[in-house]
Amino acid sequence: MAEIPGRPLRILLAKLGMDTHTVGITVVAHALREAGMEVIFTGLKQTPEAVANAAIQEDVDVVGVSSLSAGHTRNLPRLAQLLKAQGAADKLLVAGGVIPEEDLPLLQAAGFAKVFTMGTDTRDIVAYLRAWWGTRGAPQPPQP
Amino acid sequence: MSRPQDRVSAAPEAQDVAQEAERWQAATRAPHVAAHPERREPFLTQALKWPIEPLYTPADLEAAGFDYLTDLGFPGEYPYTRGTQPNGHRSALWTMSQVTGFGKGEDWAKRARYMLEQGLQGLILEHDLPTTNGYDSDHPLVEGEVGRAGMALDSLEDLERALDLPFERLKYLMSVCNAPQPVNLAMIIAALEKKGVDTRDFVLHIVNGILIEYTCVGRYIFPPLHGLRVATDCIEYIIRNHPNWAPISIISAQLQPAKANPVQEIAFSMTIAMAYLDAVLARGLDIDTVAPYFHFVINVDMDFFEGICKLRAYRKVWARLMKERYGASRPAALKIRMMTSPTTIALTLQQPLNNIGRLAIMATACALGGAGEAMTTPLHDEAHALPAEEAIRVGAALQHIVAHESGVADTIDPLAGSYYVESLTKRIETAAFEEIDRITAMGGALRAIESGYFQRALGREQYQRNKDVEEGRRKWVGVNHLVLPGEQRQLKIFRADNRMEEEQVARLKALRARRDPAAVAAALEAVRQAARSGANLVPPCLAAVKVYATHGELCDAMRDVFGVHTPDSQLTGV
Amino acid sequence: MDIAAEVLAGRVAAGARAIRWLDDGDLRGREVLRAIFPATGRAHVVGITGPPGAGKSTLVDMLITEERRRGRRVAVLAIDPTSPFTGGAILGDRVRMSRHALDAGVFIRSLATRGAHGGLSRSTYDATLVLDAMGYELVIVETVGVGQEELDIVRLAHSTIIVAVPGSGDEMQAMKAGLLEAGEILVLNKADREGCEATCRHLELLLHLREGGDGAGAWRTPLLRAVAARGEGGDAIVAALDAHRAYLQGSGEFERQCARRCEAQFLALARAGVLAQLQVRAGAALLEEVRARRLDPYSAAERLLAPLRAGACG
Repeated sequence: MAEIPGRPLRILLAKLGMDTHTVGITVVAHALREAGMEVIFTGLKQTPEAVANAAIQEDVDVVGVSSLSAGHTRNLPRLAQLLKAQGAADKLLVAGGVIPEEDLPLLQAAGFAKVFTMGTDTRDIVAYLRAWWGTRGAPQPPQP
Repeated sequence: MSRPQDRVSAAPEAQDVAQEAERWQAATRAPHVAAHPERREPFLTQALKWPIEPLYTPADLEAAGFDYLTDLGFPGEYPYTRGTQPNGHRSALWTMSQVTGFGKGEDWAKRARYMLEQGLQGLILEHDLPTTNGYDSDHPLVEGEVGRAGMALDSLEDLERALDLPFERLKYLMSVCNAPQPVNLAMIIAALEKKGVDTRDFVLHIVNGILIEYTCVGRYIFPPLHGLRVATDCIEYIIRNHPNWAPISIISAQLQPAKANPVQEIAFSMTIAMAYLDAVLARGLDIDTVAPYFHFVINVDMDFFEGICKLRAYRKVWARLMKERYGASRPAALKIRMMTSPTTIALTLQQPLNNIGRLAIMATACALGGAGEAMTTPLHDEAHALPAEEAIRVGAALQHIVAHESGVADTIDPLAGSYYVESLTKRIETAAFEEIDRITAMGGALRAIESGYFQRALGREQYQRNKDVEEGRRKWVGVNHLVLPGEQRQLKIFRADNRMEEEQVARLKALRARRDPAAVAAALEAVRQAARSGANLVPPCLAAVKVYATHGELCDAMRDVFGVHTPDSQLTGV
Repeated sequence: MDIAAEVLAGRVAAGARAIRWLDDGDLRGREVLRAIFPATGRAHVVGITGPPGAGKSTLVDMLITEERRRGRRVAVLAIDPTSPFTGGAILGDRVRMSRHALDAGVFIRSLATRGAHGGLSRSTYDATLVLDAMGYELVIVETVGVGQEELDIVRLAHSTIIVAVPGSGDEMQAMKAGLLEAGEILVLNKADREGCEATCRHLELLLHLREGGDGAGAWRTPLLRAVAARGEGGDAIVAALDAHRAYLQGSGEFERQCARRCEAQFLALARAGVLAQLQVRAGAALLEEVRARRLDPYSAAERLLAPLRAGACG
């Protein structure tokens, strides 16, 4: 059953811009659900503004962006900035897809904790998220 | 050739074989397997996950109800299982073609000119993502994408510039653009008119495959019902006005990255074809006229026999559908037209030279299954964003090696009669028809798309196949088997040139300032009117592009009437 | 950050956090509810349910547009099932409403059922209170419902919209079983599909049979047609919602329903709390006795309740 009873990790999966490849994000979404997490999908062709709003409305723990086109150097930092500006800097930011090595420092500086390049085993993604979730501290016990 | 008396004695022979097979299994094979356990448990085909028996015999054909004349027949004759050409590849080989990777932005016109000067007669027009999604280059959503994946086509002006070519050498133009097809078609027709090109002497081939876009590619604009209407307008317009052009391609190959198995590939692509067919037939055209215009692009994957049997089944399924469900009688309507190719999803980023071996196996499977009119070889190393000369040379040589050195194309459908191949072909055909019936019962491909049936089925396959690799059930050399430690390879992405985007946006602004605004507004309203009334959209689009209404404006005019497609989450239903 | 104060001020981040606490069973959520409770009871809670594939999310998308046009602030709770095997969920309803992603007057929240039956999560009612206190005039709760099990939405909402589609034989059967009898507005979506007329007649007959015994002043469930994907039919649905709200307020039923819900929530909380308390005190030993058949269930229950009867609990 759920990893932490009564308190599953909530993650927003987003696709920014014109890129409409969904196989990667589909596979990850299913893997995260199998791992007991709640996955909220924004849909395709989203702007950083729309994704930031969704992240806050859904009060997710993690925001994961999938990017297979070249827009990541602009879009992803903008998203990070918007989240910070709206007081949501404590949400974990991760990205996945086709992101060249040379862009990783830029994304890290912008606030992305991890970039899962194409071909990353979904079990590694789950392990990473679970480990991070574990460091968030014990949840408030359910009401008696 | 089998003799008449062979058929009569088939039944008793099969019985004897079945008995003997049982004896062999118990007395010879079982003891051996007890001492030498099998290396896989169980053996399953790669995509369909069907059990693979240790041995196939005539008893299996008997059990499948196989009959040579009904199931196979002869090449060039119904049901075309053994091929649509009476002489297979013995008279003419398949056309050998290649992915060139050209078509990025401004370079297209330069390369096109170069290729024509080198003697090539055909060109492919690829469009950038803003264009295929129905946006102008200055739309806020498309920043960074202008001119990256192909040409930016904002107006007739852009196409006139790109098509500044020696047209006397150009015999064939293919345009890859699905959702905004009538706008794209109108621009091409207008550009050709301006150049004074005689369209009877020249073939335009539009992909126009919006239903596959809804299913798994994602470049759509309007809700599916209207997307289909828009595509049908283009098909009808071309059949009536330019009958030598090609108005539709069913690119089943796009279902492969979405992890469709062969049964799904056949069933989804056939029901999608039927959706277009039904729509066009409803406009007063008849099946024998329309069916020959359909053409399929089919890929094979690494499972050798799944690939071969799928190609054979494709021919039989199309023929049976056209004859039994549509009453077609012309051979041209019953014979499927197809282009084949090894799939890129089987190739690995790691140890790219291994891919040459993979391509050779898959190209051989195409040849053995019947390569169709043309075979395309992808490049063995996709980490290069633009092809290295060597990769092009190897890809081309590969087809020649298969064709001239291996002998597989020297007799027609050589694997016919193989107990395994015929069992698998028949099983695929049967399962495909079951799935086609299921989809038809729910209202056809359009309903399947609207209800998310296709997308959910594919989502499940994607998840399962990925798990198979991660958990080692599928051995993939370089990825989870014989991995080269420390190998680091990355897909190169083509970076957008900001300058190119800025120039395009500036050109667009200048164009808007130069035009007659009243003429444009009237032309856009005429498009909306046609959208509302059901009249064919191509003529009003043609009039509009000539007064330089932009691509985005025309798509917006249609959005005003049709609305926009926001589909269910693709990620449901495991 | 004083979450309760922020919620009353309509701040999205605070409201989202409060809903999260309530969903997770975090005690801080309870405190927020205590503070904001007096400000609740104004919002019109609208339930939307129907079989999968009926186009509920698209319909909600259309309703949001219509309500926004009338200047109302709208909140949506979209509920999808949690996997019973893994405890995870994929929540994709907001995809269909993505055009409203940048509208400050629209709040969309996805919730998973987290093992609750009946089509809603345990936190749904409390979440509607948070949204109510934030000032959203309309709170739409969207969930899948096909039969008699998923009727919690009807008890939760002031007005329940049942969404049907033409021609679906199996679904019609399932809906006959109970759902159709409960809704106050019936919408036939995808009305441009084949089989629309036949389905309409079928539904009209069902409604007619249902109305049979009602009095003169009773609400008559309208059957409305829509093609949500084209934005058609939203106006009539909103008008029906407004009419139903007026009907409820005019007859005093609006307040009575709110009161019933408060009462139901109190009883549910009390029930759960008392049971938990009893289990804590009696412990696993009693359970083991019953399992081993050394003690029958009836005697065991008596033993559990004895302290409560004696007034010693609390």
